[in-house]
Amino acid sequence: MTGFPVGITALIVVSLLIFFGLAHRALDRMRLTDRGALAVIVALIIGSFISIPIPGGRYPVSINVGGGLVPLGLAIYLLARAGTAAERLRALFGAGVTALVVYAVGSLVMRGLPEPGGRYEILDALWLYPLVAGVMGYLAGRSRRAAFVSATLGLLALDVGYYFWLVSRGAPAGRVAIGGAGAFDAIVMGGILAVLLAEVVGEVRERLQGGPSEKGRPEALLKALRKPGLDTGTADQDGAGEGSETGKGGSLQ
Amino acid sequence: MGIGLLLAGISLLVGLSASRLSQPVWSLTSFFKEAENDHQVGNIYTVKDEQGRVISQVSRRVTVGDEIFTAEGRHYRVVRIQGNTAYARFTGMDRDLLAYSEFYSRLEVPVAKMARNPRPVAIYHTHSDESYVPTDGSESIPFKGGIYQVGQSLVNRLKSGGVRVDYDKTPHDPHDDNAYYRSRRTAVRLMQNNPIALLDVHRDGVPDPTYYRRTISQQDVAQARLVVGRENPRMQSNLDFAKRLMAYANSVHKPIVKEIFTAQGNYNQDLMPTALLIEAGTHTNSRDEAERGIALLADAVPVVLGLTGPAPEGAPKPITDRTAGTPGSWKALGWIIALTLLGGGAFLLISAGNWNRAKSRLDHFFGREFTSFFAPRRARKPGLDTAEKATSTPAPGNEDPDASKVARDHLERIRQD
Repeated sequence: MTGFPVGITALIVVSLLIFFGLAHRALDRMRLTDRGALAVIVALIIGSFISIPIPGGRYPVSINVGGGLVPLGLAIYLLARAGTAAERLRALFGAGVTALVVYAVGSLVMRGLPEPGGRYEILDALWLYPLVAGVMGYLAGRSRRAAFVSATLGLLALDVGYYFWLVSRGAPAGRVAIGGAGAFDAIVMGGILAVLLAEVVGEVRERLQGGPSEKGRPEALLKALRKPGLDTGTADQDGAGEGSETGKGGSLQ
Repeated sequence: MGIGLLLAGISLLVGLSASRLSQPVWSLTSFFKEAENDHQVGNIYTVKDEQGRVISQVSRRVTVGDEIFTAEGRHYRVVRIQGNTAYARFTGMDRDLLAYSEFYSRLEVPVAKMARNPRPVAIYHTHSDESYVPTDGSESIPFKGGIYQVGQSLVNRLKSGGVRVDYDKTPHDPHDDNAYYRSRRTAVRLMQNNPIALLDVHRDGVPDPTYYRRTISQQDVAQARLVVGRENPRMQSNLDFAKRLMAYANSVHKPIVKEIFTAQGNYNQDLMPTALLIEAGTHTNSRDEAERGIALLADAVPVVLGLTGPAPEGAPKPITDRTAGTPGSWKALGWIIALTLLGGGAFLLISAGNWNRAKSRLDHFFGREFTSFFAPRRARKPGLDTAEKATSTPAPGNEDPDASKVARDHLERIRQD
């Protein structure tokens, strides 16, 4: 009977639970309810097994439901629900910059003969993407949603660019399987880790400055920052600021 | 400020691409440009032990913490880098490797008969351009490198031994680190057939051909190096597999595996505990040497994976035996749990601000979170204003806003960003 031993099985199960737990926490931080986030995760998992071929190209192109369509749909939903046009623009801008930076670092800097990761390899591509997207999203709008949109749309742009690169090089063979690794695709992992990164950076920064900044903020936001019943008081430093709202024990993950 | 930084980044990128048009003596562009001189000796790192003896040559940047397990079972950890020389400390003989080697040396003849074999071995190439200069004429042939013949040699030998093989020839060019982003999809596609192992076959970039060239089992071959990525939370279980493979392969055809190198990177090894990256010789070896070398390595694969049935008395159980001991995976599990608790704890503390508040959040976590999933949810009153709700509970002073239902609802309402 072949099958992995208890140690390996336990390892796989626990790391899957932690990954999806983290994913749930990250999705929960956006415009989704607990159950909405859970539904997205279920869609991610089931969708991982479904790849839709996109016909008509010179090379086989497909988009995976879990690894491509669900994150894309979520990114579009987040953009559509964005409060202002400026916010939307910032998120899209972040996505563009993410695609450029990821291309520059992953394909221009870390390439060449040195094995196995190319020269200057310090961080594997898989971990580089969320880092870039998280930082971009945070810089662009101090927002978790912008981080998510930057990661998913940025990486999707990278895939589209890859198709045109194949065409321009006249590659004899090639495949563009967008989100082909499903729930474990860099698109999904990038989006989720970028949100968590933006959250951590936001939290730490806010803690360092002693609470959310109130100067120059709209009155509505300031009012919302204050705890109920404390309308006249100053905002508590634990209030949910721009990058904050750490309630719900999310930090447990 | 954020926008300012973004603009700075963009202008840097634009400036970089513009400056490519001119021909500077040295500029930041060289950082991005194709490195023509990559295979010069100067770009090779030599790893030495504390007595100055050469342990290894590596065609990549070595960093402090990289580890080397030699074929003899010696374990080194890089502690200092000076120019292109890395100094590694000998940390002792690796107990697992010694144990595996000891056991396998007692295993006289590998069981010839293949047991029931439902699961394939999956093979792919992340760097599909990799080639061998003496035979292929170049170190890189885009989309159809000599590495495919080496892969085929591995496939043929495994198949002739009765192993089912899933060989994916999708190219992932260009040769860069983003290739792992593309090959991850191939790896997952291969995983849909429930493989028993996932092998990514490469060749190295060390310029000295004699570094890998050996005469083993009366053949001139290029040795293989096994690479395990350190940026993988489950790395210890992959390392465990690599140690078994090296120990057994070297007991059959000594020393076909040169060493195990743990390098920075992930190399999609987080996907499976039996995912491994194999460097079959280097670009200055002939492709035939590499093909013969990897075929010898293939001889060890069925036994290590347990495809030849249960191990005889006294031998270590193969990694696919449900009762096999896997110290690596327990270690990896420990790491993951420890990191999760540490990271979660640190974040909780930072976000809560002090111990007491963090503690009260922790106390509230279980009851609240699990109720929301397993118990019917109380309907929320949509029309209720937060101020109105606040009147039902007196203002709690400086209490954690996350601790009361009212404050939580309030939080939920404003956490729309």
